Amino acid sequence: MKNKAKPATLDLGEIAVQLMQAQPNETASLKELCAALGQCVEGEQGTDCSPSVKRLVTAAKAKLDSLLSGEAADAEQALAAAVRLTCLATSPEPEPQGGGAAELDWEAEAAPAAAIESLLPSLPPGKPTLLPADPDLDLIGEFMTEANEHVVNAEAALLTLEERPDDAAAVNTVFRAFHTVKGVSSMLGMTALAELAHHAESLLARIRDGEIRCTGVYANLCLRGIDLLKETLNAVSAQLHGQDAKLPAGYAELVRALQNPDSAGADAPATPAPILAVLPPAPVAPTPVAAASAPVAAAAPSAPAPQAAAAAAVAPSAPAPVAAPSAVRPAAAAEAEAPARAATPGDETSVRVRTDRLDRLIDMVGELVIAHSMLAADPRNDVSRDPELSRKVGHAGKIVRELQDMSMSLRMVPLRPTFQKLTRIVRDVAKKSDKLIQFVSTGDDTEIDRNMVDVIAEPLIHMVRNAADHGIESTAARIAAGKSPTGTVRLAAYHSGGSVVIDLSDDGGGLDKERILAKATQKGLIDPNKSLSESEIYQLIFLPGFSTTENVTDISGRGVGMDVVRRNIEQLKGRIEITSERGKGTVFSIRLPLTLAITDGMIVRVGSERYIIPTVNIAMNFRPEASQVSTVAGRGELILLRGELIPLFRLHQLFKVDGAATEPTRGLVVVLRDGAGACGLLVDELLGQQQVVAKSLGAGIGKVPAVSGGAILGDGRVGLILDPSSLVQLAKDSRTGRPQPEAASQTVSN
Amino acid sequence: MSSEIATTDQGAALSGKYLTFFLGAEEYGIAILKVREIIGIVPVTPVPGTPTFMQGVINLRGKIIPVIDLRAKFGMPTQPASRETCIIVVRRLDLELGIVVDAVSEVRNVAAAETDAMLDLGGEISAEYFLGISKADGKVRLLLDIDRILSTEEVLELGKR
Repeated sequence: MKNKAKPATLDLGEIAVQLMQAQPNETASLKELCAALGQCVEGEQGTDCSPSVKRLVTAAKAKLDSLLSGEAADAEQALAAAVRLTCLATSPEPEPQGGGAAELDWEAEAAPAAAIESLLPSLPPGKPTLLPADPDLDLIGEFMTEANEHVVNAEAALLTLEERPDDAAAVNTVFRAFHTVKGVSSMLGMTALAELAHHAESLLARIRDGEIRCTGVYANLCLRGIDLLKETLNAVSAQLHGQDAKLPAGYAELVRALQNPDSAGADAPATPAPILAVLPPAPVAPTPVAAASAPVAAAAPSAPAPQAAAAAAVAPSAPAPVAAPSAVRPAAAAEAEAPARAATPGDETSVRVRTDRLDRLIDMVGELVIAHSMLAADPRNDVSRDPELSRKVGHAGKIVRELQDMSMSLRMVPLRPTFQKLTRIVRDVAKKSDKLIQFVSTGDDTEIDRNMVDVIAEPLIHMVRNAADHGIESTAARIAAGKSPTGTVRLAAYHSGGSVVIDLSDDGGGLDKERILAKATQKGLIDPNKSLSESEIYQLIFLPGFSTTENVTDISGRGVGMDVVRRNIEQLKGRIEITSERGKGTVFSIRLPLTLAITDGMIVRVGSERYIIPTVNIAMNFRPEASQVSTVAGRGELILLRGELIPLFRLHQLFKVDGAATEPTRGLVVVLRDGAGACGLLVDELLGQQQVVAKSLGAGIGKVPAVSGGAILGDGRVGLILDPSSLVQLAKDSRTGRPQPEAASQTVSN
Repeated sequence: MSSEIATTDQGAALSGKYLTFFLGAEEYGIAILKVREIIGIVPVTPVPGTPTFMQGVINLRGKIIPVIDLRAKFGMPTQPASRETCIIVVRRLDLELGIVVDAVSEVRNVAAAETDAMLDLGGEISAEYFLGISKADGKVRLLLDIDRILSTEEVLELGKR
């Protein structure tokens, strides 16, 4: 597949193809292509190409040059840009100010539009559009992130300007935001954004030049401009996600007002009010807000001590509760405002990185690990043959492993923000139900995979709400029971044996076993004659439609929460356990894996294929004796294991793999266990246990029955990760005579 | 300014640069701006329970992407990979897919005047997968509507589940 670049005259099309096939590290052929590009625009050949082609080709060549000289930060990206530019240049009629120009200045972050401005004498006539007919999604995606950041910065700067209208740095920030958005969006054909930004920029330019001051009407116009810019960006992103988005309301009016800001004064008095309402009030009175939020915050860290209790105790008494809710709201607003503030320069203890870039980095580190292990496994790398080489490879291996650990840790975020939200919920519930509750959380700096945070937040909200609403008794009942009138809801997070444990405990009335049993029997959820262990009884509350509380409040008690809780936790491959003591309280213990990205898997071979089975689902594996296997009605197979009969499924039959062991006694039976029971899976052999990084199979392939994803194995090939519960479902379906899953016809119930 | 990549105009829609490739003796073209990269054939992991044209998944520098066997998609007999066999990686919105072809040929400039609309050939050949036919140099090149191929019912179905 490696076509060597021929010398002399390659046309642009040929260069484009060869560039596409080139790898960033193939310096020699890239150099030739670079030279070929040069030839296209210089000398005789160059005379008959249009200036725009010349510009594109020169830009492509510049990209390649930067790649070759090692200046390019991301060689792959530089190459991709060069390919794209060359492709654009090959189009029969390159647009005079085509996307190429946008890319020319793409990385010149400082003032991309400045250079482009000359190319853009005026904005396009006609109706502004959110997106061009054929959008360049890569560039637009990058632009959206950039634009959103600019909007956040500009918003913060505008708030500064409210206090100090002559702050030149702030004016510049706002100006730069509009300027960049204008430049890039018009390059990308997003005329709606471009037009809005253009007019706002003109206004800002006058402010910057000291012609007008950023006060009154002008300040309002700027704020409206930012708000509308935000809305338009949202509309664009909605459209990018396939929704039918329109220009935000008021777009035309505002553009008109921006075009003629001086006459906009007439209608200005009517508009300031709504705008001010949108604004977080934080900057106006930062001190009282901070003070108001202090008691809330004080209760959160591990301080069960007097002042927290006091704060809680004071709440239900006379006038305080009335004032409290209103005080809390600005505090929340101030919190929301905080990230924007933090983004101002000079305050950079952390860098915001796009998550897909992070994922890409982790992918590449994974590739590095594979590439290194291939190197290490090379027969030439043998201590006895070449100790020096072997030592070097070993050293590189250490670095690679450290890099891998570090890259995985990049995904981890502390639980603190999640816990902070819960503080608020306890407060609200306490207020509504007129109870005294203090909320104590410890270990909120425990880190967890970023992707898991959102999934775990919802169940935690349910559970904390339940604990405060149902767990903690009413004040009167607590006093009657001789307990402290103030109930405690405690949340503790810590690491334990490779997992994260979150314990939610309350010192309330505890779970009532008899009532749970009675309720479950009454609802027909269990067989009344069956005796259940204590923990089995507690698990009943996770059944759909179960709720023991007599009065359904608007807070909780409709029996819709706990089954969702369990589902979310199981989705995270976690477990939940309950211990409870009558009159003393209840503890919910959630155990989660550190990260979802890594699956501990057993690699099994079936024929020439390899599959990964999550280790958590494997109970045991063994090679059966012929006497252990029996068939039922010539169809189903059963295997007798220590007196227990379990169904046996053959993976090679389910997945139609050729060349696998068909005789159970020659293969291996892996016993899978999950909530639904056990089953045996016939495979050829086990290849070993490995931690794999679980990945999606790509958007184009959708959900595949019995497969939860894929992972790159040690040799660089893709291995499929099996999903035991849907595998069992698939096996049962095939056994009941339903057609085998030809994905197009199969309808999977999940 | 007008839009970046002018494909809106119906008449001129066909003209442009195409990456051409072979399936057997037949030559096909894909609009070059849809093409992300071309890679040599790599081991493909078959995925059970997918249509036959879905050849499986590959590791594209750490990312898993599905690969379509265009021969199977068009109902042509499959053939073992050779040294010429390539995977053309194309992208449409957030779908990234590999397309297995027998060999990559060249990048051609296709002018609107040299193209015909796709003929209805009847039978199993679905004309909907094609933008048209280029007949430059007395050779027939079928211009693929890659968006259509990626969004045909099967792929949509798969994406939904």
